[in-house]
Formats: sequence, C-alpha cells, structure tokens
Amino acid sequence: MAVEIPKDSWAGSVRVVTLGATPADGGTRSHTIMIGGQNTLPFMHFEKSTPHRPVIAVEIKDRRPEDWSGLLLEIWGDAANDPATWAKQAEVASADLLVLALTLTAADGSPTTPSMAVGAVKAALAATKLPLIVLGPGQADADNELLVPVAEATKGERLALGLCEDKNYRTIVAAAMANDHCVVARTPMDVNLAKQLNILIHDMGLPLDRIVMDPTTGALGYGIEYGYSVMERLRLAALQGDAMTQLPMMVTPGFEAWKTKESKFGQDVPETWGKWEERAINWETLTAMTLVESGADVVVLRHPESVRRVHQAITDLMTVPETV
Amino acid sequence: MAEHIITFENNKPPVTVATGTLLAEAIQQATVSLNQPCGGQGRCGRCAVRVTDGTVRSRSTLRLSAEDVAAGYVLACQAVVESDAAISIPPQEKIERLLTTDLVSAEVEVPAGYDPHKVQNVRRVTLTLPPPTMDDQTDDWNRLLTALRQQADFGTVQASLDQIQGLGGVLREGDWRVTATLDAERWDCPGCPARLIDLKPGHTPVETPLWGIAVDIGTTTVTLWLVDLLTGKVLAQVAEYNGQITRGEDVISRVIYAGKNNGAAELRDLVLTTINALLETACKRVQAQPCDVVKAVVSGNSVMMHLLLNIRADSIRLSPFVTAINDIPTLTGREVGFNTHPAATVDCLPGVASYVGADITAGVLSSGLIDTEAVTLFIDMGTNGETVLGNRDWLVTCACSAGPAFEGGGVLDGMRATKGAIEEVWINGATFEPTFRVIGGVKPRGLCGSALIALLAEMALTGVMDKGGHINTHRDHPRIRDGEHGPEYVVAWANETAHNRDIVITNVDIDNLIRAKAAIYAGFSVLAERVGVPLEMAEQVLIGGSFGKYINVEKAVEIGLLPDMPWENFHFLGNTSVRGAYLALLDREARARVKASAARMTYIELSADNIFYDAFTSALFLPHTDLSRFPSVQAAVVS
Repeated sequence: MAVEIPKDSWAGSVRVVTLGATPADGGTRSHTIMIGGQNTLPFMHFEKSTPHRPVIAVEIKDRRPEDWSGLLLEIWGDAANDPATWAKQAEVASADLLVLALTLTAADGSPTTPSMAVGAVKAALAATKLPLIVLGPGQADADNELLVPVAEATKGERLALGLCEDKNYRTIVAAAMANDHCVVARTPMDVNLAKQLNILIHDMGLPLDRIVMDPTTGALGYGIEYGYSVMERLRLAALQGDAMTQLPMMVTPGFEAWKTKESKFGQDVPETWGKWEERAINWETLTAMTLVESGADVVVLRHPESVRRVHQAITDLMTVPETV
Repeated sequence: MAEHIITFENNKPPVTVATGTLLAEAIQQATVSLNQPCGGQGRCGRCAVRVTDGTVRSRSTLRLSAEDVAAGYVLACQAVVESDAAISIPPQEKIERLLTTDLVSAEVEVPAGYDPHKVQNVRRVTLTLPPPTMDDQTDDWNRLLTALRQQADFGTVQASLDQIQGLGGVLREGDWRVTATLDAERWDCPGCPARLIDLKPGHTPVETPLWGIAVDIGTTTVTLWLVDLLTGKVLAQVAEYNGQITRGEDVISRVIYAGKNNGAAELRDLVLTTINALLETACKRVQAQPCDVVKAVVSGNSVMMHLLLNIRADSIRLSPFVTAINDIPTLTGREVGFNTHPAATVDCLPGVASYVGADITAGVLSSGLIDTEAVTLFIDMGTNGETVLGNRDWLVTCACSAGPAFEGGGVLDGMRATKGAIEEVWINGATFEPTFRVIGGVKPRGLCGSALIALLAEMALTGVMDKGGHINTHRDHPRIRDGEHGPEYVVAWANETAHNRDIVITNVDIDNLIRAKAAIYAGFSVLAERVGVPLEMAEQVLIGGSFGKYINVEKAVEIGLLPDMPWENFHFLGNTSVRGAYLALLDREARARVKASAARMTYIELSADNIFYDAFTSALFLPHTDLSRFPSVQAAVVS
C-alpha cells in the first residue's frame, strides 16, 4: 500500500529578487541571478518545487585585507591585492556572484575616497560578468559617502548595496532607487526588527522586490542556533502570508566563521582539534550549510574550498529524488 | 465653468468661486481666518464649518460625528463648492468641543446620595458637658465618655496619652462645651472602641468642613485631593512630581536605592516632603490648616506604599516577588509622618501583588469595572503600566514597567499637565510647521503627555520621522536639526516660549516614548492573549492616568498606544487611583469593596516567559510591526 506523505500548503511565497542586469536591461552582466520565489520550506521538493536554488557569493575586498586569516590570504595569494584579479579568481572558484566589501581606509591609513571605491567596483565589474553586491565599510558616514558615488557610477547594473540598518538606510535606499539597484537590509537577529526595517525601506518607495534581508547570523558554536531560529521564523511568517517578511535572505557565514578562534588560529591549540585548514574550512562549510537549510538564499563565503563543498551540497539538496 | 456665490453669516462680503473650488479656499478669499493646523489634509478637524444653505460635496468628514454631519457640518479643507451656499464659521472653542476623538476626563462628582452619617466612619460631634460640682466629682475623662454616650451614642472610646494630658485644659477652656472628632469604626478591627482623633474647646459650627484627603502616590506624580467629609465635595486638587524621582525613575530602581545605606529613610522623607507640601498648598487654597485634616486615604502601587511606610521592599524585586504586606492596618498621621492632625486616621488601600498595587484596586473601583457586565479593558497609563481585563464576574491583571515618559519624565522638555504645558500639537504636512495649544493659554514651558502622544503621531504621519522613530535629518528644514542630544524637532522657538529656550523633542525622547507605549500595548495584548479573549471582544476600554485632563484617542491609536477600536469604545477617566481613594475616603462600603476587588483579581506574571518580550519588540514601531493590528491607521496612511 502506498504511503501518502502529508503535505503542507502555504498561503504566501517569497518574492523573487533579480540581481545584476544584462545589456538588454541596461547593465553589462552576462546573466542575472534570481533568488527567492519559494512557497514552501527549503528543499521540500515533495510539496513544491524550488524555483531558484540558493546561491554562493564570494567575498572580495577593494584592497588586501591584512586582518583576514593567513589561510585565506595564502589561498588567494596575489589575487587578494587587486579586486579585478580577485574577482576573476572567485569566478574560477565557481562563485555565483560576488560581494565586494569596501575597506574603511586605504593601505596608508587615509580614508578610502569615493573615487577609490568607484574604481574598485568598476574593476570588479569589468573583470567578470557576475552580478555584484557592494557593501560599505560599515560606518554610517563612510557607507553613505562611498555607496552613493558607486551607485551613480554603476547605474543600471542592478547591484545590491548595503548594509542598510535602522539608523542608516535613507541615503543608501535613495541612491539605489535613483540608480536602479537593490539593497541589503541588515538587522540584529530579530524577526520584528527585520520586518520593521523592510517596512521603513519600503515606505521610502523602494519596491519590495529590490530588498534582500540580512537577518545576521553567528558561526557554528557562536550563536548559530539563534540565527537559524530567526531565519526559520522569518521564512515561516513569509509563507503564512506576512508581506513584509517575504524577501530573500542573505547571510555572511564566511565572515562569521573566519572570526572564530577555531578558524583563526593554527598554533597553541589542542592537538585534538586536528588540521587547521581542514578545521577552518569545515567550520565555514557547516555554518553555511546550516543556514542554507534554514532558508538562506545567498551565503557569502571566503574560502574557495568551502565554495566548492557548499556548491556541491546545494546541488545534492536540489536533486529531486525520483520517488517524488 | 459655473460660478457660485458663497455668503457668510458674520457679514463678511460674499465671494464668487467656480464649481469645484475647495471650500477652505473660498473662505480664505473672503479673508476669513480659518485654522488649518494639519495643513488642509482633513486630519485635524479644526476647519469644521456649517453649511446653512446650499450644498457642498464633502470628501471626508473624519472627526465629525454623524449628528454634526446631519447638522450641516463639513471640513472646509475636504469640501468642494457645487452650488451657491451660506456658511457659518463657528468659534474655535466650539469646534474643539465637536471633535469626536478628544476625550476629556470626567468631572468629579460627589457620589449620589452621599450621607456622612450613614457611610462615613469619621464623625464630628458637639457636646455640652455638665460642669463638675461638689456633688458630681466624676473625673474629666468619664464626664466626656458619658457625654459621648448620651449625646452622640458612642459606646466605648479610646484616647492616647497626649489627648488625656490635654483633656482637662480643653474642657475648661470651652467652659464644658467641646467638639470631638472620632473614628467610629475601623475596617481592620470591627467591634473595637471608637478612637478619639481630636477634641476642641467650644462648638465648631456645623457648616465648618471636616477635612479629609485622598492621596495617590504615583511613581512619577503625587496627587492629593482635599475633601469636605461632610458634603463629600472635593475643594482642592493638587499634584506634583514625586520627590523620589531624583533617586530613580521606576519602581525597581527605587527599591534598589532603598536597599542602600539609609536609602529607605531618605526615600520616605522625599515622598513625605512632597505630600506635606501638597497638603499645605491645598489647605492654603481653602484657608484650612493641615492639622485640621482628620482622615487620609492613600493609594499607590505596592512599592510606593512600602517606601512611604519605610517597610523593606527588597522582596518585591526578587523572585518570587512578594510584598511585605498587601493589606496595611489603619495608621495615624503621626505614625506615617503626615502633617495632618497627628491622630488623623490614615488608611492605606490594599493591593493584589508586588506589581499590582492599591492604585489598581482603587482604579477598578472608581472606573466602575467592578460593577459592569461588559467585558472591559482598563489601562492605567502610569509609570508602572497596569492593565485589568474583565467585568464584574472575573478580573485578570498584569503590570509592565512603562516608565515616566507619558507623565513628562525622561523627556528633555517634558512636564506635567499644568499651566504652560503644550497639550496638543498638529504638524502641517506640507510645511512641517507645528500648531499647538497651551494649557492656560500662556507661553509654553514644555510638553505634557497628551502633546507627546500627538507629536509622535504627527511626526510619523508627516514624515518628520520614520515609523521606527528616527527623525529624518535628510529633510532640509530649520525645525529639524542636530542638537546636543542628537537629531531633534523644534516645537516652539525660544521667542515663543516662557523661558526663552527652544522647546524640542529629541530622538532620545522619542525612543523613551516608543518604549513606554510598546510596554503598555504589549502588556494588555499579552494579557488578552493569555486569557484567550481577543482584544476586539472588549466592549469598552477605560483609560486611567495622570498625564493630563485630556487624551486624543485617534493619536493614541495612530502611535499604537491604544488598540485600534472604534473611538466611541474609549473612555478617559483621568487619575482613577486618586478617584478610588476619594470614594474610599467618603464611604466605608466603598473601602470594603476595594478590598473585595483585590481578592478577586488574578495576577498574571509577564516575566514568566518570553512572550511579553516578543510582543514588546514588535510594538517598538509606529504603530506596530504587525500592521494588520491597526487597519484604520494603515488606511489613514494610504489615503
């Protein structure tokens, strides 16, 4: 006798956000990336098909990030000295898209100027045909000063600009609206705060299908359970029909995993921890995969081997078993 | 296009305008001044006029009652001329009375049929004693007792040593004619002898008031009513900030302070200083002496009650959160430290739990909740925001710390609702210029609770700030600026104010206000959820609080402080705690009912799980993160 699998049916679905624009739409990308669109929980293929698979963004910087783990600087080598080369290498590592994170200061300690930021972004765009997410240095004034000229210089490319936060979102949103870009809205691990920021951004007139939320996460062993639960609740709210949570989610497991002591340090650690590089890659991979399971649409990674493994794992998860 | 003649009742020259002209424009053409604080958006209702002849097409009559609309009232900014018409422009005060959303607290009325001989336990009697003679060598005390028994029907009577020490002098000074004041019956000692409060030489005229006070000790505001116990009339009402504020803004920080070296004694002195100063002010107004006050009934939350009496309050703060005493026995003025008559009866009303005190039991009595059949939500918007849900058959209650913001505390230019306080604000959506009304019609000194509620709503509606409460500094406007405390909005310029300083509302103030309103909203919504009664099932919402005489319900709903319900369901009762104390002061039956209501309330502890916290964070938004809870606000924003 056939076993009937109970199926949930949801009232709502996640909006589709398109990142990047082809020449036909005023950009220069070879293809666009669509994220979102689910109307069931992740990988429940027997309920509904998943319209767009979760994607991997590789994080690159506008200049060599001296504070990054030695393992990362070693694997990227000289490519990390130059955003264009780095972007190309990331494409080779099978990134679906890129995150270019701007640094607060230049190598000599002086503040990063708008022209430097625009230069780095244009170089990354020219080097590959992948869609691009640009993040400011993370200080309100600097973000606004750098992201506005970047948005203007790349009008029509449909970048995602971030990070919008509840105390600093207006300038970035206005720049995105005026130049046909999307935004990334970050809130500190709370369903209500995520929803509130979406409302505020939407109130300014930016359509909901140009907002990606970053609900913030923690690395494996550093609060990932809480991040997981917030993302799962956001997704459940979206599926239940709450319009202001029906947005795709981007999270930064690479950033989180690589700041843990397990990933950062290879010396003076217990022998039972095993090989440093393997441990660090496992940390990033497991963090990312956990978040993919909770509903992440974009995971931002740093190590090419993690990219390879997560890519493979997503492909496996997306394979619909024949029995279904 | 057709032209129409608009005539005015007040002899202003008529004007001729085209079909479709806004009535407000026609009126301005006639150089008649018309108030439009909201900038002609149909929000404030201040441009209401009456069409006495002809027709206009009215787009919106928001804020006018059906009766007014039937009587021909329209909003000039929302009405379009379609024919010749005659217009009558009412005076502004009359318009304000028309508006359906401004709720003014009810006047105090002496309970119907108040008869002190039946329901008042404190009595004053005049006695004429036979002087002692060689044939009648009865002692002074027994002579007085005999007179009390024979002339006033008192059985046994108790007196203190100092009263007995003074007895002989008083009797002889009055030439054996005296006036005695006694407490005939104590709730905590039924059948006990009556207690002598005061003995004066001579016969006090019957019309001389017998003074009592009702006191509400709020965490932020202390209110005192001076009452003639013979007529029941409230002859003076005074209020002042609680002197303890400087030692902590909420009950928890007060308890912590009291636990420090000498802190408890200091807090007791501070609140006594406040109360005794209020007593003196009230007495001066009616040419009475504080020492003539013979009865006091005190209401207040449990912490305030403990601190007044210097009873250890630590256990209120620590799990499992118990008070030292909920039901305080009858005390005297001297014991408590009031500058009333030293032997005055002081009755502290009973509470339910650590965070639901006498202020709420008194409120349940005075609001009528205890008698009503209708399921009622009673919200006391005090610093310690308490909520009661229920009716005469069942009552559940909870408390959440809202902070003093709606009483003007923790707000840079906040003040109590007294003369000089801005009590109402409108912001023009096009120019961002405010229009405000000041209590007493003088130059303003600050913002009281109702103005703060209005400001929050207006700033959000006009885009001066976003729904998260962040002032939009991107707007290039002189009133929106970066101040000492971050972004701020200037409500009144220095040259318009009484103290020649700008009156502003800062982002920090706004954060405090949003937290306060979120705590109150989360409190009653979680309470309703716990009981399984949807908020919509509440047939009426009673609002208590000492933030002013008035509240604009529409604005309070717009900011998500009150639930989105039809405006007519709301009733603003003012300070329900002092009203309850007043009723208990007059009537021992009312006093007994306060005690009975305390026994019937079920207290729900909000800190037991994280449901409250979730509800709180989702309410930290204007009006609420869950917009579906505020359909009328959403509709207003969309329109």
